[in-house]
Amino acid sequence: MFKHLFKLIWNKKKQNFLLISEILVSFLVIFSVFTLLVYYYQNYRKPMGIDYGNVWEVNYNNSFKTDNTDSLNLFYETLMQTLKSFPQIKSVSFTSFNTPFSQNHNTGGITVKNKKVDNTNWYTVDDNYQNVLNIELLEGRWFNKGDAVAKDKHIVINSDLKEKIFGNDNAIGEFIGDGDNKNKMQVIGVVNAIKTKGDFANTEPGLYNRTDTGSFRWLGKILVKVNTGEDAGFESQLYKILANYLKSSNVEIEHLVNKRKSANYFYLVPMIVLLIVAGFLIVNVALGLFGVLWYNINKRRGEIGLRRAIGASGKSVSAQLVSESMILATLSLIIGAFFAMQFPLLNVFDLPTSVYLTAIILSILFIYLLVFICSLYPGKQAAAIYPAVALHEE
Amino acid sequence: MLKNYFKIAIAVLRRRKFFTVISLFGISFTLTILLVLTAFIDKVAGDNYPDRKRDRSLYITRMEEDGPGNMSSSALSFYFLNHYTSSLKIPVKIGISSGFNGTNTYVNNKKIAVNYKYTNADYWDILEYDFTEGKAFNKQQVDNAEKVAVISTDMKIAYFGDESSVVGKYIEADNVKYRVTGVVKNVPITSYTTYSDIYLPYTVSKTDYNDKGYRGGYTGILLANSKSELTKMHDEYEQMVQKLPMESKDFDHIYSHADPYITSYLDTGNENQSGVVYALTAIAIFVLLVMLLPTINLVNINVTRIMERSSEIGVRKAFGASSKTLVYQFIIENLILTILGGLIGVVLSIVILQVINGANLIANLELSLNFTVLLIGLLICLVFGLLSGVYPAWRMSKLNVVDALKAQ
Repeated sequence: MFKHLFKLIWNKKKQNFLLISEILVSFLVIFSVFTLLVYYYQNYRKPMGIDYGNVWEVNYNNSFKTDNTDSLNLFYETLMQTLKSFPQIKSVSFTSFNTPFSQNHNTGGITVKNKKVDNTNWYTVDDNYQNVLNIELLEGRWFNKGDAVAKDKHIVINSDLKEKIFGNDNAIGEFIGDGDNKNKMQVIGVVNAIKTKGDFANTEPGLYNRTDTGSFRWLGKILVKVNTGEDAGFESQLYKILANYLKSSNVEIEHLVNKRKSANYFYLVPMIVLLIVAGFLIVNVALGLFGVLWYNINKRRGEIGLRRAIGASGKSVSAQLVSESMILATLSLIIGAFFAMQFPLLNVFDLPTSVYLTAIILSILFIYLLVFICSLYPGKQAAAIYPAVALHEE
Repeated sequence: MLKNYFKIAIAVLRRRKFFTVISLFGISFTLTILLVLTAFIDKVAGDNYPDRKRDRSLYITRMEEDGPGNMSSSALSFYFLNHYTSSLKIPVKIGISSGFNGTNTYVNNKKIAVNYKYTNADYWDILEYDFTEGKAFNKQQVDNAEKVAVISTDMKIAYFGDESSVVGKYIEADNVKYRVTGVVKNVPITSYTTYSDIYLPYTVSKTDYNDKGYRGGYTGILLANSKSELTKMHDEYEQMVQKLPMESKDFDHIYSHADPYITSYLDTGNENQSGVVYALTAIAIFVLLVMLLPTINLVNINVTRIMERSSEIGVRKAFGASSKTLVYQFIIENLILTILGGLIGVVLSIVILQVINGANLIANLELSLNFTVLLIGLLICLVFGLLSGVYPAWRMSKLNVVDALKAQ
């Protein structure tokens, strides 16, 4: 049966060439759409890693000007105590500019066993950071006051970084070097990785440093965890206190919830545009397929009438037509799959292989479904041809 | 002759209404997508509110300092733009403004996010903002570091509500009270060099604007006397930058450019490749992809339709029509179809643009179809029609007369 169908199609290969190329191009379009969707979905399923619901972010600048490190620290420690004394505030943490969902990024390299590892996020945070964001501690411990006087510099790494450099081995107590391999740092804890770029982005390897006595000269962000339900009333109070204390600074208060929405827009907007354009293209293709198939059937009325006269049932006629279209689709899908397989093999864009394979399978299913639906109605039309009428025509 | 072609084309289209609908759908939708994209680009790149003197202005937005081990780049400092750039001879005026930053203000237990921007006095002379009330602050107010502000219309409504006139009233932002001197028409955020909710004199900035470093948070606009002086102004700035002493031992090269609006808008920080190239490539790929499938579709449909008309073609060939005439006729028929689809596409785009403007996805961004956009649309139609008509026409002209007459 299939050999016969293949022969039929091969005889008219020139005519079917356009149809095959059309299905091929739509497969490639659908493949790229599905790759993006699957990637976003996989990232979406991963846990965020932090509780951002009640956390506000304070941006300030022009830090307190003094040459005396002690008065610098006293200035900001006093601010922290003042903030913590409010019943509405649960916890306060000073941090570097690359807070979750912000547009600021600070990446650098680290050296492990004389191998350089790039694209690691460097964070500088204080002892309360883990508490404010509720980051899950997987191994070891978070920073405490004792780390200020430790012999080696203590750092905490996240699970992505740990997997990358230690795999399944123990990480606690191990030493890693910074980008130039000049300073050695000791790992004292491993925390869960955070999706800092929003719901649809992947987690990234990260390394946390503890603030030291000189950090307040350049730090510019404070994360404040408040009670549930605190609104603009308390926020304006907080704002006034901060602005009056940090007299030479511009102060801004943002909510992590809103920053997350803005971060997500970066991913959602291109995806929505892509979906709209792809949707329109597919509707176009479907209509085109439909029209061409319908026209082909009209041309073959004699052939179909003859088959019916000899005794073929209506069902077998429509089945033949549908199978012909499916085989056409298979031909173009084979070529398309060949091109698509290059993506996971060449590891394009560093996306995991599972994303590509899932996308290929979904696209193949989609194209088959599309061709099937487009050939159903013409097939039914063919089955409704009366043998006598068809053979009568000339 | 053309009238006959037209009549034949309409007759053919009416014969197979379903194919006509498919073709028109494909063409009109492709054109709608491309027109909306063009309107968007035209608005972002071409909208000259408030910088109406754009054709004789150059924009300085970035400075990069390179060294053997590192590279650092950001906007420029106020001191650099004021001191070094004012030593140039050709610019008539220099407008200096900071990038916009966010802060908050709280009114009636409501929080308002405010974007603020520091400017000098000449900024208001170069740019032509539409003031619905009052006017900008002047040089004297800037020199005296008076706490005055120009606010946008949206800011006025958000802060003051329904008041008719707010000039002279006080607005509190960033924990400071400013007196309103003027209210301007809104600028969409896509014009990010001139957008803000509140404009303040740079002298009230809390950050030290006298810092003698080259880089900071400010950008500059150089205004020339006429369009013809732009190249000379650009070169004069380049030469000045090349003579700058290095700030520290870490750096050995300084890059900074005074570019026309589009070049500076699309600046990606790549010193070797202009951002314009990236943008054009991205747009070209997108347009190609969007046009590819409908074109293949149309070619497909046209080929099948030609086979239908094989007897008509056979008769005409038998009577002596040359292949060229037939190809010519068919391409014109195709063009008529595409132009028809194009008209529908234009109507659809107008509807969709109204919807987009109404949904206010980007505040204050009003998209509209102007003459340029329509012209581009027509061009796209023609290209489309030619592309999808050439191959089927060629196939048709190759038909053997006898076979065509004999066939079903």
